[in-house]
Amino acid sequence: MNLIGYLLMVSGWLLVLASLFLLAGLGERFAFVVAGLLVELLGLTLIALRYRSLQRGPE
Amino acid sequence: MTPDLCLVCILLIPLAATGLALIHQGLGRSRSAAHAMLATLCSLAIAAIVFVLIGSSWMGFSGGLAHTLHLAGKSIDWLGAEPLFATSLTSNLTHGLYPAFVLAFGIFAAGLASLIPISAGTDRWRLAAICATSALFAAIIFPLFAHWIWSNGWLTQLTPLFGLPAFADLGGAAVLNVLGGFAALSVAWILGPRQGKYADRIATAIPGHNIVQVLFGCILALIGWIGLDCAAAILFYRVTYTQILLTVINAVLSASAGCLAAVITTQLRYRKPDSSLSANGWIAGLVAGSAGCGLLSPLATIFIGLVAGALVSLLVETLELRLFIDDPGGAISVHLGAGLWGILAFGLFAPAPGPRSALILAQLIGIATLLGVMFPLIHVLHRLLNKLIPFRVDADGDWQGMDIRELGAGAYPEFVVHADEFVPR
Repeated sequence: MNLIGYLLMVSGWLLVLASLFLLAGLGERFAFVVAGLLVELLGLTLIALRYRSLQRGPE
Repeated sequence: MTPDLCLVCILLIPLAATGLALIHQGLGRSRSAAHAMLATLCSLAIAAIVFVLIGSSWMGFSGGLAHTLHLAGKSIDWLGAEPLFATSLTSNLTHGLYPAFVLAFGIFAAGLASLIPISAGTDRWRLAAICATSALFAAIIFPLFAHWIWSNGWLTQLTPLFGLPAFADLGGAAVLNVLGGFAALSVAWILGPRQGKYADRIATAIPGHNIVQVLFGCILALIGWIGLDCAAAILFYRVTYTQILLTVINAVLSASAGCLAAVITTQLRYRKPDSSLSANGWIAGLVAGSAGCGLLSPLATIFIGLVAGALVSLLVETLELRLFIDDPGGAISVHLGAGLWGILAFGLFAPAPGPRSALILAQLIGIATLLGVMFPLIHVLHRLLNKLIPFRVDADGDWQGMDIRELGAGAYPEFVVHADEFVPR
């Protein structure tokens, strides 16, 4: 789960970078950058949840 | 640039480090106080040496040598290429005093950022691991991102590359605080909570041992932060004298608003103001206000400080109670949370040369880079380092305290120590 989290964070940034190179309109770029940020946050959330489940132990 | 003023501002920065050191040792246990202060000194010392030897080369300076990457017909400046060991200071004087000023600033800035994670690892992070982490931070992490923002790197070249405004961070909210905050989060995750913090899955309050020092540290941090904000704004944004004065005013206003917001928030939530959270609110205000210190209006700065102060109180609680992250000094909430808010707030409130959405977009690109490149890099490097030099002290040391365990003597030898404190529970 940690690895997926890292990959999602890097993927989100690549989405941001791709939008800068491939898109020209401000609105389109804005949408893709926000989408990239959301993917990154998803990755961070996965890592945080993994850590939390380790700390809490089995229910 | 006004060299004399810049030099005075740079000389004030160590007071910010002193303030942070007092805050994180005061918020830790008394049995780890000397360790926390020594760790701060070691961290500053190592960061200074490593930054001069290696980091300054990769940070570079605006107009200096740099590595570029050619991609889709665009030249992306991604890393400084100055000679190692700062040899260009004496051998190449074509740029005048500027490289020396950047180097002097970088020594203190790298040191200040590298000691932020100590706050999250208080009471359980080994001294050797702290030193190794500081070296890593000053050699790789700080110079890389500082180059992108302050040395004409790709994030400041968004206009020629992509037709967007440049990402701006006048006082180091991103370069120092968010990077330091991410390092703190990574360290807190690797170390895990202190023993007894989450007995039976319920968070136990472990209050700081010296709140007077914490509050005194806030005052020192204010003076240091004013120096930090002014020096960075003068060196990297060539602000005018009026903007330097505005920077001073804004630093005081943002800290005041942050502290008052935290006092009010804790009064409303707990019926009494919480002094440690209020101290965190003060620093959070400074952090959030530093992103746009010389360009924002005082009114906008007060609003930014108020949000930062309220945000930090909520974040501390969320991290501790919901995410099981034990951060004794509140470094993650203060430096990471308020830093990210400050960067975004610059896009919302700074004077925009074109459409407001373009400025916000530039700031979001910076945040995405911090989250998608810098945090994974920091966390992976920390995890590798943890394999070489284990971060966490052993179970006995956790209860004994870091002072006795690692230094052989306590910070307050005249205090009566209860025997049951050394019995593992």
